[in-house]
Amino acid sequence: MASQSSSLRRPVAFRGVGRSILLTLPIALWSLLMFTPSFQRSGLDLRIASAVTIVFMTTLFFLMMRTGETYRWRRIFFVAVGFLFPFGFIASLIAERGSMSIPVSRMVSGDTPFCFMVTPSLILPAAFARTIIFPGSILPTASNPRSIAAMIGIWFAMTLVLGKAWCSYACFFGGIEEGFASFAKRPRLHKLVVRYSHILRLVPWAILVFVVLVSAAIFEPVYCMWLCPFKAVTEFPAVRNVETAIQMGIFVALFVGLVVVLPYLTKKRTQCGFFCPFGAFQSIFNKINLFEIRFNREKCVDCTLCQTSCPTVALSKESIAEGKTLLNCMKCGACVDVCKKDAAVWHLKGTPVAVKPERARLLFLYGAWAMATMFGGSILANSVATMMHWLPWK
Amino acid sequence: MEVMEEATEFVLSHPSAEKSGWMGHTDLWEVKEEHMRARILSILAYTGAGLTLLIAVCVPFVLFQSFSNVVAHAGLHIDPTYSGGTIARTIQRDGYRIVVYQTVKPRLLERAEPFVQIVFEPADSLPARVSDEVDLDGDGRPDVRISFSVPADATAKMHGDVTALNGGYVSLANVADESFSRMVVRAGNQIVVRVPVK
Amino acid sequence: MAVLSLSASAGEALVLGLATGPVCLATCGPVVVPWMMVQPRGVRSHSRQLGLFLAARLAGYMVFAAAVWLVGSSIQRAWTGRTWLMGGIELLLAAALVVYAVGWPHRRCAAANSAHAPASERHGAADGLVRIGEPPRSLRSGALALGFLTGINLCPPFLVAGVRAAQLEHLSAALLFFVAFFAGTAVWFLPFLSMGFVQRTPAVVTVARMVAVLLACWYGFSGVSILIGRTMYG
Repeated sequence: MASQSSSLRRPVAFRGVGRSILLTLPIALWSLLMFTPSFQRSGLDLRIASAVTIVFMTTLFFLMMRTGETYRWRRIFFVAVGFLFPFGFIASLIAERGSMSIPVSRMVSGDTPFCFMVTPSLILPAAFARTIIFPGSILPTASNPRSIAAMIGIWFAMTLVLGKAWCSYACFFGGIEEGFASFAKRPRLHKLVVRYSHILRLVPWAILVFVVLVSAAIFEPVYCMWLCPFKAVTEFPAVRNVETAIQMGIFVALFVGLVVVLPYLTKKRTQCGFFCPFGAFQSIFNKINLFEIRFNREKCVDCTLCQTSCPTVALSKESIAEGKTLLNCMKCGACVDVCKKDAAVWHLKGTPVAVKPERARLLFLYGAWAMATMFGGSILANSVATMMHWLPWK
Repeated sequence: MEVMEEATEFVLSHPSAEKSGWMGHTDLWEVKEEHMRARILSILAYTGAGLTLLIAVCVPFVLFQSFSNVVAHAGLHIDPTYSGGTIARTIQRDGYRIVVYQTVKPRLLERAEPFVQIVFEPADSLPARVSDEVDLDGDGRPDVRISFSVPADATAKMHGDVTALNGGYVSLANVADESFSRMVVRAGNQIVVRVPVK
Repeated sequence: MAVLSLSASAGEALVLGLATGPVCLATCGPVVVPWMMVQPRGVRSHSRQLGLFLAARLAGYMVFAAAVWLVGSSIQRAWTGRTWLMGGIELLLAAALVVYAVGWPHRRCAAANSAHAPASERHGAADGLVRIGEPPRSLRSGALALGFLTGINLCPPFLVAGVRAAQLEHLSAALLFFVAFFAGTAVWFLPFLSMGFVQRTPAVVTVARMVAVLLACWYGFSGVSILIGRTMYG
């Protein structure tokens, strides 16, 4: 497992400081560009938070360049977003309405902020009945800037760049379980996961087909109403009858089980890899994305370190033998960083495998980190600003 | 000549060259073709990568807004179970108005009762106690009597009563936000009432 | 005149079927999709299996048509006994989906005990879901069971057709009414044949069986809600 320090190589200098700084410069400029509006028209809290975020993101990218590793530094960013997002979000809910629960009044007035995870369920009703089965608003309003059009727009634009790497660089939920997965020193249920990984990695697809079909049949966002673990740390329909009480119980149970306990025991991203239907949906975009991870069969010694390090078991013996990952690879870079023979490499489709992999890595990382800075970075900045607002001496 | 040398070098570095052990004239042309194909693919790949980076740069400035506009102008609407449907008529009262919506019927297997939404607005202008008889179907005769108190605190939970004046609607007693088809709630500067239809 | 009256009823039934086909699709589509996913690739084999499914569905329609005509116009939409029947049918559908996805227990045991069974089956460790890529054993009986159960599922358009059929003069007229109604709804199932072009891999088959189990949970929940009388509105 990549998060086991014994199997990760110690960070060593991959390239010189000067070259690393040069390569980091575009990201530094991009970060400044992204947060310029925050400096121009926001309060002191957000300006400080934005400055911290710029330094944070730029430093991590510099370390990626300097050490040649991706996973370790990406994970720091991702876990930070995963833990800070719920904090900032819940704080804003409490400030606004004193509760995490969504009252029915907000749903009927279209004030429910849109979450991208419901996107697959919307497709069939929208296509056949021109109906959005979500209690939000299509256009942004003063009380709901996270409108459906805006969120779908940003999701699609970022997916064109990232593909399934959304799950490693953009999803503001995945960092929670990646954090819990890194807490334990060694996995306790590792053998079970490996033994049944060939079935477990198909479960998200089954859930995807199920929620799409049933959502279209009953015109309800089934995943949001019944199966989303992250309702437990964001917002959920107010408990007002037996049904909503059952729903809340399911949310909490799924969160504790799939996001906290199982990642801790297995050191895998169990919710992402074995449950999330949106992740399965994003996997489809891996087919059109140009970046992937491949294996140089001439260098590979079949030690399976890559397989055990993959957080979502996106590698099998058969796929490694073919020199590829499976479709659900989220391009986190864990296998590349852990491979002692440099057999696992970044690859640009259409070019020879293992020829200039660092170039492929750079091209991928520039796009991915730009998206991460724009999206996750703004979440970080807002959450840090919220934390500062709640500081006791303020 | 340079291309041939390049192609030869490419062939000699190719693993299968060792296995075949023979390099005929025809093979060299095939190798040349393969080499050209590989070059074209590489050029296309790097062009694609460049385009991806360009897309990344354009996301916050152009693409995000463009895609949002496409969704916004796709002729989509929020499910009437959530939005309440379309407006049927507006009834003016003294200082406020009552907006009556079209009946929302559940679609296919949708797990909801049919209902009619009635909105009293603006909530700030309503008297402390409202009791109104409202014509829902536009036949000139009142169908329900809606009664509720408007709390001073805009965030306080509301309760209300709906008395059906004919057999077409369901009476509700002391209802707050029971379901999407049975409620008396304050949403912003509006009081939203939903009455189930029999 | 009788012929005209019959053809008018049939026309009415056909139009009713075409108009309410989406409801049938919404009811039965979730069942059909995973079941079609486990069929071997090819439009011909899909046509065969879809034909079996629809034939069983037609049989369900005929049973219902005969029952409503015999009972007469006392079958009304407000009939409270219908609640028990609907809930029961949904639970049966859930059970059929589970059995179909997982496989008959006695068949698994027999296979496991057989000296000719592969080692994995003799160990008896794996159920149908764990054996990746193996379609459920009972393809034909699955089609018949699922088709029949969806055919007698009492959705509102079905009941509308039932009330109308109960008012017809002869049993043959009621049966013909439902044949025409079936034809109208069956048109909506033709697009499922396009699934024959989708490549079948062991993963696709396994996902289909998992979806069937999930749908069984959903129909089970729905059936129980109906039976306990809790129409759980949102």
